[in-house]
Amino acid sequence: MNENKIIKKVNLDEDWEEFIENEGLLDYNKIPLKRAEVRGWIKIAFWFLRIYILIMVIMVIIGFSRIN
Amino acid sequence: MEDYKNKLDELPVDIKLRAVDRLKIHLMRQKYGYFSRLCLLLALIGPGILVMIADNDAGGVITYAQTGSIFGIGFFIPFMVLMLPVAYIVQEMTVRLGAVTHRGHAEMIWKRYGKFWGLFSLFDLVVANILTLITEFIGITLGMEVFGVSPMISSITAIIVIASIQLFLRYFTWEWISLSIAVFNLVFIPLVFFVPHLHWGIVAKSFASWHIPGGVSSLFIYVVLANLGTTIAPWMLFFQQSSVVDKGLTVKDIRDGQIDTFIGSLIMVIVAIAIIIITGFTVYSVNHTVNLNIQNILSIISLKMGTIAMKMFALGLVEAGLIAAIAISASTSWAMGEAFGWPRSINLPPLKGWHFYLPGLISVIFAGSIVLIPNVPLGFLNLTVQVIASIFMPAAMMFLLLLLNDKEIMGEHVNRLWQNISAFIIVGFLIIMNGLYGVTVMFPHIFG
Repeated sequence: MNENKIIKKVNLDEDWEEFIENEGLLDYNKIPLKRAEVRGWIKIAFWFLRIYILIMVIMVIIGFSRIN
Repeated sequence: MEDYKNKLDELPVDIKLRAVDRLKIHLMRQKYGYFSRLCLLLALIGPGILVMIADNDAGGVITYAQTGSIFGIGFFIPFMVLMLPVAYIVQEMTVRLGAVTHRGHAEMIWKRYGKFWGLFSLFDLVVANILTLITEFIGITLGMEVFGVSPMISSITAIIVIASIQLFLRYFTWEWISLSIAVFNLVFIPLVFFVPHLHWGIVAKSFASWHIPGGVSSLFIYVVLANLGTTIAPWMLFFQQSSVVDKGLTVKDIRDGQIDTFIGSLIMVIVAIAIIIITGFTVYSVNHTVNLNIQNILSIISLKMGTIAMKMFALGLVEAGLIAAIAISASTSWAMGEAFGWPRSINLPPLKGWHFYLPGLISVIFAGSIVLIPNVPLGFLNLTVQVIASIFMPAAMMFLLLLLNDKEIMGEHVNRLWQNISAFIIVGFLIIMNGLYGVTVMFPHIFG
């Protein structure tokens, strides 16, 4: 790795910490992510998804039982 | 300067390697001129091209070959052209999401919408990935049989190659080796020029007289769904977002990521059209039966185009299986790491990142072993892959749309109105086709 060669050429106008942050070079496991509020049309979308999955699972069960 | 080196050494090994890559990008950004801009683009492209070429996997090649063999070129060449914006619109969203949040798709679903949906997505992805990997190994072993290599040898060799690429390369090298393998996917394009009695006029005419040959039937719906399923698949969303994150793309790189995704979509569609033209002009003209497996198709290609062409086609099939197996196993590893909060990067050395690499490797070894079992029910397996992907894809798209409209995390990079409308049309089409397919499964003779 030519790490040293690259470092020699670097001329960061911004400071190192800012560079690290801007480039996303952080351990994101340690940065919590807030849970989304499920309300309004998002709540409707989730109910639609539940119904869709239920219908598809019923269809799959019928389909596979016909194959066997 | 020594100061920077010490600061780099303080970072965890995977982030340190990414930081070195990002320093190179930082240097490139400071230069002006067309050549420097081109170098920057070349350094930033990768995830988009890789995901799209890996999408032309062994199952995809077989699907396109069967499509051309059964329906000719009439309907499906214009259909594949329509798949270009579909693939681009869906995958471009993962570029923005990854570049803005620096988190993978599995992590975003898990943390924003809770454990239930996180587990649901992860379970579907892992099961679908394992089953898809089996189809990749079927492609690899079938293709290598043409060259006289036994399934045992080809399967074991493929496992070793995939494991070595995942374990021992850092992200930058991993991407370039994978892209080098992906180049062989283009083998189908020159083959088109060796198709006997190929009339480009007929190809052009297919756009003017776009119609469904024989009308809507159960088989037609199945083939449309299969082609749609090979164009956009759940693993692609997870793979490209994780890949964008592991490569370290930021909001400054979104434009290059979009170009990358467009180039990839274009290559994917050109290769798919090439395969449909090859089989549409060779197999469709001599055989109108629907019971065509890939061995039959290869025999007819050999008969009409010669052994070399058939071997090139088989080589393309092997490559398709290999590159997809690399991408799919990586997507399994990334998703597991993101869901359970493990360090997750191709940059990790094998011993340090063993629990990150393990899920992907286990799935590869499992798939490579399954194909060696005699009389394994391949038809049932393909159907199961199709069914799981069909259930999961609208769900995965819904999460993608929710996240891309979430101002709290996306800020100014949220979806624009046209992007939402296009994505909703795609999801709607997917749901309608899945529904129709479900109806044909329950009432097989409804469309004749």
